[in-house]
Amino acid sequence: MRQIFYLVQKEFRQIFRDFSMVRILFVVPLIQIFILGNAITTDVKNIKVIFQDQDKTPYSREFISKFVHSKYFIITGFEEDYTRLSSYLDSGKASLAIIIPRHFQRDIVLQKKPDIQLLVDGVDGNSAGVSLGYITDIVQKYQERLMEYSPELSLQVKNVRRIEMEPRFWFNPNLESKLYIVPGIIALILLIITLFLTSMGIVREKEIGTLEQLMVTPIRSYQLVIGKIIPFSILGMLEIMISMGFVYLIFGIGVKGSLLLLLFESSIFIISTLGLGIFISTISDTQQQALFVAWFFMIFSILLSGFFIPIANMPPVIQHITRLNPLRYYIVILREIYLKGTSIKDLIPETLSMVTFSTCLFLAAVIRFRKKLG
Amino acid sequence: METEIAVSASKLSRHFGAFKAVDEISFDVKKGEIFGFLGANGAGKTTAIKMLCGLLKPTEGEATVAGFSIRTGTAMIKKNIGYMSQKFSLYEDLTVKENIEFYGGIYGLSREEIANKTRLLLSELNLENMQNSLTRALPLGWKQRLALSASLLHDPPIIFLDEPTGGVDPISRRNFWRIIYEIANRGKTVFVTTHYMDEAEYCNRVSIMHRGKIIELGTPTGLKQKYDKTTMQDIFIHIIGQN
Repeated sequence: MRQIFYLVQKEFRQIFRDFSMVRILFVVPLIQIFILGNAITTDVKNIKVIFQDQDKTPYSREFISKFVHSKYFIITGFEEDYTRLSSYLDSGKASLAIIIPRHFQRDIVLQKKPDIQLLVDGVDGNSAGVSLGYITDIVQKYQERLMEYSPELSLQVKNVRRIEMEPRFWFNPNLESKLYIVPGIIALILLIITLFLTSMGIVREKEIGTLEQLMVTPIRSYQLVIGKIIPFSILGMLEIMISMGFVYLIFGIGVKGSLLLLLFESSIFIISTLGLGIFISTISDTQQQALFVAWFFMIFSILLSGFFIPIANMPPVIQHITRLNPLRYYIVILREIYLKGTSIKDLIPETLSMVTFSTCLFLAAVIRFRKKLG
Repeated sequence: METEIAVSASKLSRHFGAFKAVDEISFDVKKGEIFGFLGANGAGKTTAIKMLCGLLKPTEGEATVAGFSIRTGTAMIKKNIGYMSQKFSLYEDLTVKENIEFYGGIYGLSREEIANKTRLLLSELNLENMQNSLTRALPLGWKQRLALSASLLHDPPIIFLDEPTGGVDPISRRNFWRIIYEIANRGKTVFVTTHYMDEAEYCNRVSIMHRGKIIELGTPTGLKQKYDKTTMQDIFIHIIGQN
């Protein structure tokens, strides 16, 4: 027991010996949360639109003004020549062209149903779909406004349309991707810091020869493992609290659910990253190797976590592989607690999976570590 | 009789694949002896010493250290030995005092013992002014002496030194050997590997290793008479040349 105390004390002295570690602990989350939280966005905003108004009447102008007032669109200009419209889409000056036909106003008044033509840049299918949704919404609102002009028309419509849709988005009413992304970034920071600290920390002792020196002392390998785990888990927990603080300060996003539950789930997750770190240290002889292997595992667990790519979109085989990834569960848990305030009761399946894989990974790593030393 | 033997090896071997790094070596080291292990680089000295310290398992053969088998008694062996390798084994980013405290703690010394030992060591090594400096800042010769002291904190009866003076200047080496003598005078057994032949003269007995085998074993004086040479250097070159 006393040996473990001295190991932990030594580790903390080394970590905080120079200022660079403190910098890593504070600056890395600050930069990642600030930049990534703003950069990684699935919101479709600032869609560039080019108009061709062949009608040039009060009705067509009112229609266009709906786009001017929308925060999703930027009007890049008006083009008179139909044949030149495609060049805007080709060059990327616009990703959407809207053509209002001649007699737009007349047809509306005569109830002849004018057609508006849309040319959409479909390279990014997701964004194209989302922008189409926005346009549908605008057209809808415009029609409602038209009905105010003719009471008898509005009566007619009311007879046809019996059901009105009133969608409400829960937990993230404005569908801001920030709210969805930021808890994921906290998970990534925790993964990176604990994984790299553990693997590099052990391999460094191998490199300089102190690990060998420790092995000729009466210290047991389990004491050595615990002596490494305690400081790195404390740092991990510290790191998650620092990250949550930055998230609150920068984005004003606070934890909806129980902070205690969040820390509890985090500690289970940390077991898996420490296990992975120890495992990496057993297959690497130099810090360079450890760095490389840690990167390899990090990229895999991030890409297969559902953070960037929804797991539901992956082929079934890959979907099964993601089940082995503790980060997958942890990101879900973090989002649930952060945004919905979900209680432990509804997180039991994820928690159990994470406990299982974390423990297996950790035990396998420790057994391998002890075998390597013995 | 058995209590008089500190280290004993019989047909101890370690193979790495087809390569026999240590090939059936046998010897006894008496208590209080300075036993030198000589040989060129790659002769198998470090592999042999690592087996005796419990860092490597032998492929064949048996050895006892402080009466405990290196196959079954490594935990007990570790309590009875000090070990210092050719690699500098202190933490360079800890201060001198912190290093002593750490190794003292690892060896299970109490807080007072650590405090006493620290005071004693710092005055012995003339490091009082440097106690709060990072170990990195010490000259190599001092680092080696500090590393040696750290490996002796738990007062072990047997000390293994694996090329302790590698890369150190002659004066520091002389000083280092003065400490080794003091240790031996306190009744401790010193098992030292080196490839400096002048250091071999300081040993009570030396064994010469070549390609995993012990090809000569005796006192420096005895060997000089046997081969009719005046220095260990000449003997070494003569014997290695023959093989």
